[in-house]
Amino acid sequence: MLPVLQIGPLAIQTYPLLVVLAGWAALAVGARAARLLQFDGDHVYNAGLYGFVGGVIAARLAHVVRFWPAYRSQPLEIFGFNTTAFLLWPGVVAAVAVAGWYIYRRRLPLRPMLDAFAPGLLVGLAIAAMGALLAGRNAGAATDLPWAIDLWGVRRHPVQAYEALGFLGVAAVSCAALRAGARLKIADGKSKMGVRPGALALTALLGWGLVVWFVEAFRTPEVAPTFGWPALLGGVRVWQVVGLGAALVAMGALRARARPMED
Amino acid sequence: MEDRRWKVLILVVALAGAGWIAVNRVPGPDVAGASAEGRLTGQPLPAAPAVGHPAPEIQLVDTAGERFELSALRGTPVVLNFWATWCPPCRAEMPELEAAHVSLADQVAVVGVNQGESQAEVAAFAQGIGVSFPLPLDERMDASRTYAVRSLPTTFFIDRSGIIRRIQVGPLTEATLAQSLRAIYP
Repeated sequence: MLPVLQIGPLAIQTYPLLVVLAGWAALAVGARAARLLQFDGDHVYNAGLYGFVGGVIAARLAHVVRFWPAYRSQPLEIFGFNTTAFLLWPGVVAAVAVAGWYIYRRRLPLRPMLDAFAPGLLVGLAIAAMGALLAGRNAGAATDLPWAIDLWGVRRHPVQAYEALGFLGVAAVSCAALRAGARLKIADGKSKMGVRPGALALTALLGWGLVVWFVEAFRTPEVAPTFGWPALLGGVRVWQVVGLGAALVAMGALRARARPMED
Repeated sequence: MEDRRWKVLILVVALAGAGWIAVNRVPGPDVAGASAEGRLTGQPLPAAPAVGHPAPEIQLVDTAGERFELSALRGTPVVLNFWATWCPPCRAEMPELEAAHVSLADQVAVVGVNQGESQAEVAAFAQGIGVSFPLPLDERMDASRTYAVRSLPTTFFIDRSGIIRRIQVGPLTEATLAQSLRAIYP
């Protein structure tokens, strides 16, 4: 475990560091995917960065509103650098809204943009999962398997590594399909064998859902990330239900769109 | 893929998915304080300085010479703050912790574990800044090691059952303290 990276007098928490790295990697992979989909990769960077800035502002504003009595007595804290003074969900909603507004204003094709974001998001989630592993967060269940890791005196599934491998696998499949589609399109000049707009994003959602549904069985329920909802309902692991639900929704959408492509 | 094949595939995934979820269901009731890991493995989740784990025990002596045991506070939410007089952010957050101690007296226990300093140093500092909550002295850094404290200040928010619900690395403001308290109180 390496929760803190000590560089001289500087102590850097590894999880936030890897989350930042995950964000950068997500945008970089997304921009590369955008070029394979034959539109400007800078749009992915721009949408991502505008979304991030909008999300941070909204998350801080929500925190200020929620805890106004505290900020009223310390108004300068509204602009402070405290990295925990944010509310997650308003930030996420605002980030998605701002990125969506950018896509709308630039008249960019939505489905190809989602296809471009998809593999990058999976790569980002994989890096964030490895950050959780280094920090000892969201630990796995106890086990005697040879590859178990020791955490607080108990040998546990490296469930964060399982997650990362799963997400990277789905991202690799997505990227391979993207490259294959791009090569076929270039080769014959037609779109018939290319990637149907939106299919990659749905496939990534399917893959994400299946990974979460499978991997959550190996996590200690008490430490599962919940974002406010219970980890268990009637003994059932909530994240497994979320993962399976996402996979089934994606399969339904892929089925609805399954038809021979036209030139 | 033919539509019929899609339907079959979706059905197979749904059934297999539900089966895997059922196989991995945690037995027993979801009772607050009852360890799910305990119900699964027969061994409760071990004490560890991590969210979701029971807080490790601390046994120290405070500036008044009184024995302090974290386990004695079971049943009360605890704000367990690690600090030192030489740490500027620690000093900056002391008024917020003192205000919480005063306003939430008998409802939330605020404890400031001093890292590696003498009783005289800490007592003089506390008197100068007006701190009245318990200040156990971790002179040999045993508690700091147990709690894997690598930077100051670090604050653990522990619920009534003794489970760590939130860890704050860095100084608390009035707003972030109010936010963190929501994880353990009421």
